[in-house]
Amino acid sequence: MRTRAVIGSIFGSIVVLVAGWQVGIATTNSSAPTNGSTAASGSPDTSTTSSGGATETPSSTTSPAPSNTSNQSGTFVGSTVQTRFGPMQVEVLVTENKITDVKTLQLTNQGGRSVQISNYAVPILRKEVLAAQSAKVSSVSGATYTSEGYLSSLQSALDKAGL
Amino acid sequence: MEKRIVFETMGTVGSLICYNASEHSISSGRIQEILRDYDNQYSLFKPESELSKIASQEINLIDASDSVKGMYTLALSWRDATHGVFTPHRPDGVVDLSGVVKAVAIQTIGESLTHVEITNWCLNIGGDILVSGNHDDGSPWVSGIVDPEDRTQLITSVVLDGDRRACATSGSSERGDHIWSFGGYPTTFVQATVIANDIITADVLATAIVAGDSGNLDQICESWDVDVMVMDHFGNVRMTPRFLS
Repeated sequence: MRTRAVIGSIFGSIVVLVAGWQVGIATTNSSAPTNGSTAASGSPDTSTTSSGGATETPSSTTSPAPSNTSNQSGTFVGSTVQTRFGPMQVEVLVTENKITDVKTLQLTNQGGRSVQISNYAVPILRKEVLAAQSAKVSSVSGATYTSEGYLSSLQSALDKAGL
Repeated sequence: MEKRIVFETMGTVGSLICYNASEHSISSGRIQEILRDYDNQYSLFKPESELSKIASQEINLIDASDSVKGMYTLALSWRDATHGVFTPHRPDGVVDLSGVVKAVAIQTIGESLTHVEITNWCLNIGGDILVSGNHDDGSPWVSGIVDPEDRTQLITSVVLDGDRRACATSGSSERGDHIWSFGGYPTTFVQATVIANDIITADVLATAIVAGDSGNLDQICESWDVDVMVMDHFGNVRMTPRFLS
């Protein structure tokens, strides 16, 4: 189940980049977009990138002054940022002041090989991970337990409930 | 009506969920037989197993059965594919195939259930999960993932549907039948969960991620069609974007 909060936090480190973005194509108005970190609900702290995530903090993090913040919608292309995968640019879709989609644009790295970042393991806030769990769990995956270890495991609780 | 059976196997515990009683009785008998055969052949905890006799040099590997040689070849091909991070060679020189045997057994069980047209089931053996079909109301199977910081809690859950039928988790706090961190240093990641289209890929790669480092993780994400979630010793989580979708 994807929620906006999950989308926002999975790409939380990428959203840092949007603070340095330029307005690309704005379909409703030409005023400056809202600051990226407030648009992504639930993850104002972007310091999670410090654990070696896919992005680097851009040199400018000040938000452009918004002249009209009502009903921002449109597609915005961020500035190019150097990451350890090579230069990266994001395209962000904003709908009514909220980021509803983030695309990483495929770019060539120094070796001449194009790098598609979309399926690397990027940092995510632990609380967003916790929030994403479903109530309807049938089975539990964890590091292998011994038969003794099983007795105190979550899987055994599920099995007892299901028997 | 959902039926669940629980059984001991391979030093751990398995559970199978399926529907209707007759499917149930056929499947549990067949499953335990398959598992017993693998365990009797490969368990290093059983001195009479073929693999134990190879370890004690009572049998030479070149004289081993075709099935053992085949399993060893499988493990070696995964060793190559993971650049040595996954390996069946223990530091003491013993060939330990536990890194692939459980997953192969699960896959064999899956094929055998499909063969008798049992198509909606969820099989968990020691935390390795393989599913087929859905719940009888059409909803997909959902697997929880243990929080390594508090094993009485889940860190999150994942939906297993479509091609994503397999879920395996490895942890460095495992008693470690088959994980040694590459080079013998403390592991970078304390737990890794891999969602894949088959259980062997999921299991081997989860093992490889915990045995390897951040560079190995990136190489794995780049080279296989899998979804991954990892956690380090500080509680930081990294996840491929599709993991929770």
